[in-house]
Formats: sequence, structure tokens, C-alpha cells
Amino acid sequence: MKKKLPIHHGMARGIEKRLKNTGLFIKRIWSHKQGKIGLTMVGFLVVVAIFAPYIAPFNPYDVAERTTKGLPPSSKHLLGTTINTGQDIFSMLVYGTRVSLIVGVTSGICIAIVGSILGVAAGYIGGLVDSLVMRIVDIMLVIPTLPLVIVLTNVLGRDYWTIILIFVALGWTGLARTIRSLVLVLKNSNYVKAAELAGASRWHIMIRHILPGTSHLLIMSTALSSAGIMVAEAGLSFLGLGDPTAISWGKMLAEAQRGGALLFGAWWWILTPGIGIFLAVFSFMRLGIVMEEIMNPRMQRSSGVYKVFKNLNSAYVEEVFNSMDDYAKIGVTPAFEHGKGEVTHETGLKA
Amino acid sequence: MKNTYVIKRIFYSLFVFVVVITLNFFIPRIGVVDPAERYYPPQGNMSEIEYEIIKQVTRKQYGFDVSTWQQYLNYLHGLSKGDLGKSFRPGSPAVIDLIVERLPWTLVLSVSTLLIGLIIGVMFGVVAATKRGRWQDTLLLNASTIMVAIPGFFIALMLSFYLGFELEVFPAYTDSNMVANFDWSLAAIRTVAYNAALPVLSMAVGSIIGHAQGTRNAVIAVTNEDFILTAKAKGLKQNTIRYKHILRNSMLPIVTSLGMSISGLIGGQVVIEQVFNWNGMGTLFLEANNTNDYPLMMGIMLLLSGFTILAILITDLVYVLLDPRVTVGDKR
Amino acid sequence: MKQVLKLRNLKVIFPTNYGIIRAVESVDLDIHERECVALVGESGCGKSVTSQSVMRLIDSPPAITRVDTLEFDGRDIKDYTPKQMQEIRGKEMGMIFQDALTSLNPVMTCGKQIDEMYIRHQGLSKEEAREHTVKALELVGLPEPRKRANSFPHELSGGMRQRVLLAMAFACLPKLLIADEPTTALDVTIQAQVLSMLRNMQRGCGTALLLVTHDLSVVSAIADTVYVMYAGKIVEKAPVRELFSTPHHPYTVGLMSAVPRLSDTERVFTQIPGTVPHPTQKPSGCYFHPRCQYATAECKKEMPPLKTIDSNREVRCHHPLSIRGVSHA
Repeated sequence: MKKKLPIHHGMARGIEKRLKNTGLFIKRIWSHKQGKIGLTMVGFLVVVAIFAPYIAPFNPYDVAERTTKGLPPSSKHLLGTTINTGQDIFSMLVYGTRVSLIVGVTSGICIAIVGSILGVAAGYIGGLVDSLVMRIVDIMLVIPTLPLVIVLTNVLGRDYWTIILIFVALGWTGLARTIRSLVLVLKNSNYVKAAELAGASRWHIMIRHILPGTSHLLIMSTALSSAGIMVAEAGLSFLGLGDPTAISWGKMLAEAQRGGALLFGAWWWILTPGIGIFLAVFSFMRLGIVMEEIMNPRMQRSSGVYKVFKNLNSAYVEEVFNSMDDYAKIGVTPAFEHGKGEVTHETGLKA
Repeated sequence: MKNTYVIKRIFYSLFVFVVVITLNFFIPRIGVVDPAERYYPPQGNMSEIEYEIIKQVTRKQYGFDVSTWQQYLNYLHGLSKGDLGKSFRPGSPAVIDLIVERLPWTLVLSVSTLLIGLIIGVMFGVVAATKRGRWQDTLLLNASTIMVAIPGFFIALMLSFYLGFELEVFPAYTDSNMVANFDWSLAAIRTVAYNAALPVLSMAVGSIIGHAQGTRNAVIAVTNEDFILTAKAKGLKQNTIRYKHILRNSMLPIVTSLGMSISGLIGGQVVIEQVFNWNGMGTLFLEANNTNDYPLMMGIMLLLSGFTILAILITDLVYVLLDPRVTVGDKR
Repeated sequence: MKQVLKLRNLKVIFPTNYGIIRAVESVDLDIHERECVALVGESGCGKSVTSQSVMRLIDSPPAITRVDTLEFDGRDIKDYTPKQMQEIRGKEMGMIFQDALTSLNPVMTCGKQIDEMYIRHQGLSKEEAREHTVKALELVGLPEPRKRANSFPHELSGGMRQRVLLAMAFACLPKLLIADEPTTALDVTIQAQVLSMLRNMQRGCGTALLLVTHDLSVVSAIADTVYVMYAGKIVEKAPVRELFSTPHHPYTVGLMSAVPRLSDTERVFTQIPGTVPHPTQKPSGCYFHPRCQYATAECKKEMPPLKTIDSNREVRCHHPLSIRGVSHA
């Protein structure tokens, strides 16, 4: 007999716990060396995007001023102005953050949602659902992404919401595959088997047991997908196929090239949006990689070994070796200093 | 055993191809009942009757006057004969002709990038793997993390700017007469190489680093395997171990990732061709997009997808050749 | 009798971010011609690292190794260059590992991998080497050796693979063979076959054998001398029969009682309480004292030295069990 377990109550508690875990997770990211960089940069970008109108000294859309065309960086125009329209590049940089972040993060989150649902369904339910989903994944893999995006924007429209939709529709495949592999493993874990034996329904197991097991993977994928989408959006805008009404870094690069920045040596116009793209993508990637490292702690990365060796205190190593000799020893093996970090008294090792 | 796998794999590719063809057929038909409206979108300044006549003529011209199902069959029939339809351009030239004209130019860039990326990348990767922890390895690691965040077209623009405009080492824009003047003479070939330098360089940077990273990881993973320890315990010479044991096994993951990377390369090339105004399929595709020339667009899409399917199939089969452990196809 | 291996004061550490792993702490080993020496201990006690150090297969990053004496067949190989070591390895010193499937190159046929030995160390041509390989496979009892030589490792069963490893290791008739858990991954029946094969090959080729294992039944089957290791240190050394009849170290006793036997009248599983110490955090004094029922305050404070008892037995214990104490006859 299949019991209908109380989902609502459990879900509320579950969500509470999940929020607490998320908080802990964020703390762990912060304590990671590079996690700090990632979080600060992402946070910084978010702030810039939200407060763009306050940060940008000029209205970037303002093309009325025709006397300020093609100016190099100065105290008034921190990053100079465009050649063709005299817009302030710094302001455009700031406003461009909005587009990149909105498109990137929204797509990233939606990809996480769609990818996880389909991945869990394919992995857990298996059979026809699995075959169907994986066939679709294989087919999408084969069609070159950028040309397909271009065709779809042509047919479906070029405003950013459509573009986000298209990105999500094409981008869920990678995640679904990874999630499915994870689900196949989770399927055989004890608590899932126990839930099945207890008669829990498939939905219940998928939502309450399997999905939470993939949560860390989802968060990491959101960060990485967002990074990837930002690059794709930049490329699309560069080709002139993005939303024509918005300011995007990709579009800035296209305008720079068309407006003769290369010809006239207006390096500030080319470098700025490029660095913008780089910073945004880089910070999200860093965040994603840090998250991955937290979830799969690798005891010793190969390069890590060499670092340890370089920082080794050779006198300390000698002491360790000497302590192994078979002389009659009185008392415990002595404690040793080792650079930073606490030392346990037992064998002179870092705590 | 193995043969079953190969046959299964080929059939699967054909299946995927058919699905892609079908998708290709239907995508431009999204949102319109009558494909003629794609060719000639409704404009406000003509009467209903005028518009209807124009649409009828168009339909006749492009074969839209039959049912959708019939159109589909005609399309398939045409494909079997190598006919990709008629372009919407004035004069309705055959799509396949337009493509073939530009195809070799795209291949010049693609093949060059592939070769350079693969050869140099694998070499770097092996060096980085053997000199773990030293500067070669750290350099690669840092380069990878940075390169992933820089879009190819930005590199292209920077190269175009510094090497093209500032230093004038290579042309920043492709010579517009390059194609017309090409006559297989040495001078013509030099011109092509000269013009291709920056596009290839832009794409090669990312490709080299990508392959280097993949190779490095593969080599390190293999080096940590048990059978390498056995090989050392057998007292084999360093070189024997490196080549016959480590490298030979590292090739497997490299080949797999090669196939996967193809579809990404294609997209990247479209943008790069645009940056340098290179006369290839990428720019043709973008032109088609700008003029809403659907038959041409979809023709190119189909070709690109076909290439990708073929490339993945070939890499899969090569993998089967290299790895004796593959028996029945395991859905990855 | 000639001594094949003389190892004195081997110490191996692995520095990590979490602390220094003291894998091997001052281990001595003596192996003589035709002798089968067993190195026994639970996983993580350092026996594999010890055995690989004999062949100097432990690389310097990630480890740091110190040794006072490493003499093989009378030669001091402590400072041999890698090239010199490559000459000895395979030819005079062989090693086989636990998992035959991962120990063999998956993309090379078994035959080719054995041919490699002959080509490398005896300078034979490919054809000559193949003849030797087939003979070797025949000797280890592989049916249809010529056909099997052209098989890939994954195409053979576990037992057959282990025989391939044996054939490969014995190919050049080494003076010393190190077998690291050769039977652990195998079924019991195959275990017996492999063990008897090991013993026959050992006797037939006159090879000394260093057998690393955690399985006491294997030890009782073919070993001559037994070294018991715990947490990186040798805690007992004895000839095999004496070890089993009168173990001196509480850990040895614990190991033996942990093996359930049909003849046991009690139906209780005796386990040594507690777990093996983490390699970065070893207890003070005697490493075994937290788990030892005979531990005293002295055991907690001081590490007992390895003392020689009788002529050929050694124990590292403050209170070794006497003959009248716990015995497991």
C-alpha cells in the first residue's frame, strides 16, 4: 500500500534546513582562498548592475552631445568616449553590466531548473523518459549552437527575454546529462532504497530525496552556466543580433570595430567592454570552480604537493625522521613548530 | 562484438541526421502558416489582392504550393540528390552552389586551426604533465583559467588592432579581392596565408590551450594508474613507458574530447570570420540571416550539422579502434 | 645462506597540507635466498610503501625517503641512479600487484607485455621473445598459451590475469619477487592455485619472495618468516610456525583471533577494538596501546624498542605475551 507522506510539513522543514545549509555553504566559500575573490567580484558586479544609474556619471544613451566624440580617457570621461556618437564609455560599461548579469544569471538559473528536472526524471524514472531525454540531448549536441541561436532569434524575435528562452532551451542539455549520472548513483544509495521500501511515491522520492542530493551540483552549474551564457550573449550582441535597444558589452565591441576604433587607435573603446566581459565571466567561473572544489575536496592536487614541498621546513623534517629511531625515549614525542598553524603534541603535526 | 557496435553507431548517426533534417525543415516554418510570407513578409502598402498574387508567384517559384508534408518529401528528395533548395536571393541561385563557392575558404581556416591547435596543444599538454608543479604547468593552468573567460572574438579584435593596425604585421581586414584573384599561383597562396594569419591565430590560441589542458589532465590521470607502476617495476626504460604506455592510453580521452569540441569551434569561427570579413561560410550565413534568406541559412545549418555528426562518428570509431575494451555500445 | 635483501632503517614520510604522514618508521628487513618472507598488517600500516621502497618505486615528491642500508644481492643500491635501478628492476627484482586488471596496460595484449620483459632485459627479438612468452604462460598453467598471449587483459578471467602477471614477473628469473596482496582480489579457490603456483615458481626458480598481505591464511600457507607491521612499525618478527603457535605481540594475537574458524566453539567474533590510527595523528608511546587490553601507563608514555627474543624472534612490546600466556594452538 502506498502511503502518501505529508509533503507540505516536511517540505517546510526541508526548505528551512536548506536555507541554513546554503548559508553554511556560502560561509565555506568565503573561507576558501579563492572563494573570497569570486564572491567579492560577483557581489561587486551585482552592486554595479543594480545601482548603475547612480554610478554612471553620464546617461549612456545620451547621443546629443556631438562635441565629445572620440575623446581618450580623461578626468571627465574616465574611459573616453565613442567615436561615432560621443557616448561616455565608462557609463556604457556600467550599464552593460545589467544586460550581462540579467541575461547570464537568469539563463543560468533557468537552465539549472530545466536541466535538473529533466536530468532527475531521466535518471530516476529511466526507461522511455530516459531514452527520450537522452536522444534529445544527443541531437542538440550535434547542431552547432551559435548558428542555431542565430536562426532562432531570426524566427522567434530578438528581445532579451526571447534570447534568454533560446539560451535555456539549448543550454539545459549539458546539465541534464551530468545530473542524470549523479542520479543514477543516488538511486542506489541506502536512503533512497529505504524510502522506496517504505512505499514512498516516485514523485516524493524525486523531490525530497534525489533533488536535494543534486543541489550542490545545481548551484555550481548555475554559476558556470551563467558564465558561459555571458560569453554567448556577448558573441550574439557582437554580431549585431542581440536586443537593439539595450547596451551590451558585445554590442560595444561591434560598434567599436565599425566605428573605426581600430583605425583611429581608440584602444579604450575596444579594451573596456572586453575587460568587462572578462571580469564578469571570470568571477562567475571562479565561483563555480571554488564550489566544485568544496564539494569534491581533493586531498592533494598535484601542484599542491610541490607547494608543500617548497614550504617544507627541512629542520622539522629531520626531527620527524629522528623521532622514528629506536632509542629509549622518555616522555612523548616533542612538539614542533611548523610555520603557521597549530601543532598537536603527538607527532608534531599540524592540527 | 565490435562490429555490432560500429554498425549500431552508424545507424544511430543516420537517425540523428534524419531528425536534424526534419528540424531543419520545420524551424523556418515556425510562426507562419504560409512559407511564402517568410520570403515576402506582409507590408502595409499593398492591397490584399496584390499581396495574394505575389504570394502565389512565390509559392510557385519555391515549391510552397503543395502541402507541407509534400514539401517535406520534396525536400528529402532534393537532399538525396544534393539539392539544398533555392536561395531567396534575386535570381534564386541554388543554395548548394552558393555554399560550395565559399566552403573551401572556411576550410582553410578550420583545418589550419585544427592542426595547429591539436599539434601544439598536445605537445604543450604533455610538457605540462611531465613537468608538474614547475613553471610550465603553472603557466598552462593560469592560461586556461584566463582564456576560458575571454571570448574568441575579443582576442580577434585585439590581434586585429595590435598586429593589424598598429604594427601592420598582418592585414586586419581580409583583402576583398583575395577570392577573385586566386589562381593557385604562389603569390596568390601567399596572399591567402597572409590574410588568414590573424583569423587562424585568434582561433588557435583558444584551441591550443584547450587541447593542452585536456592532454595534461589525461596524461596525469594515466600516469597515476597502476599499470604504469607495473611498467616501472618491470624496469622498462623511461621512453618506453612514456610512449608505449602513457601516451598510448592518454590518446583515448583526447580523441573523445576532440569530437565534442567540434560544434563549439564552428560557432566560434562564424564570429571570427565576421571580425575579419573573411569570405567563408560564416559570413555567408550572417548575410543570409540579415536578408532573411531562409533556404540559404538552413542549407548552411544542415551542412554544419552534418559535418558535426560525421566528425563525432569518426572520433567515436577511431576510439573504438584504439580501445580494445569497447564491445557493445554504452550510451554515454 | 646468501642474503638477497638487507634493509636497515627505512623511513618514509608524505608531507601533505594536513600534516606529515609517517608511512614507514624505521623498518628493517632481511630476506635470504629462496626464503619466503611475509609482511603482514592491516591496510594503511605501511607495508605497501615498504615493499615499493625496496624497489625504490616511491617517488620523491610526494614522499621523502631515508634509509641506512639497502643492499640487494650484496650490492648497495641505495644510491643507484634511475638508470641503474631500471637495469635491476624486472630483471633481478620483480613485483606483482593486487589488482591484475588495473596492473596491466589495457590497450596492449598480454603477450606483448610479457615480450617487453625479454626484449628489454635479454635483448631478444620480437619473435624470440614471443616464444619465451608462450613457454612462460604454459609454465604458469595458462591453457592455450599462444592464443591467450594475443588476448587483452580485460578478456581474461581474474585468475588467468594473475597468472599472466606471474609469468611476467618470473620471466627473467629474478632473485627477489615482491608480491603485494597477490590473492586479495581473487576467489578462494583461485587463491589457492595462485599461492601454490607462487611457491612452485619460487622453489623452481630459486627466487626469494617478499609477500605483502593482510591475510594470515596466505601467510600460513607459504611463508617462512613473518614480519608483523602496525602503524608504520614492525611489531613482531618470527618464523612462521612459531608466530602461529606462540605469538608474542598483542596485535598479532588480535589478528589471529579475528580470523573466524570452523573449529571455534565460541560463536562470537573477536575484533580488535578501535581502529588503525590516522597516519597523521598517531598515539603517544606505543602506537597500539589504545587498542591493547594489556596496556599499562608505560605503554602510553614510551614507544617500546624492537627487542630480540631467542635467536630469531623480535618483538616491540613492553609486555610481550609469554609462552604460558594467551596462545592459539
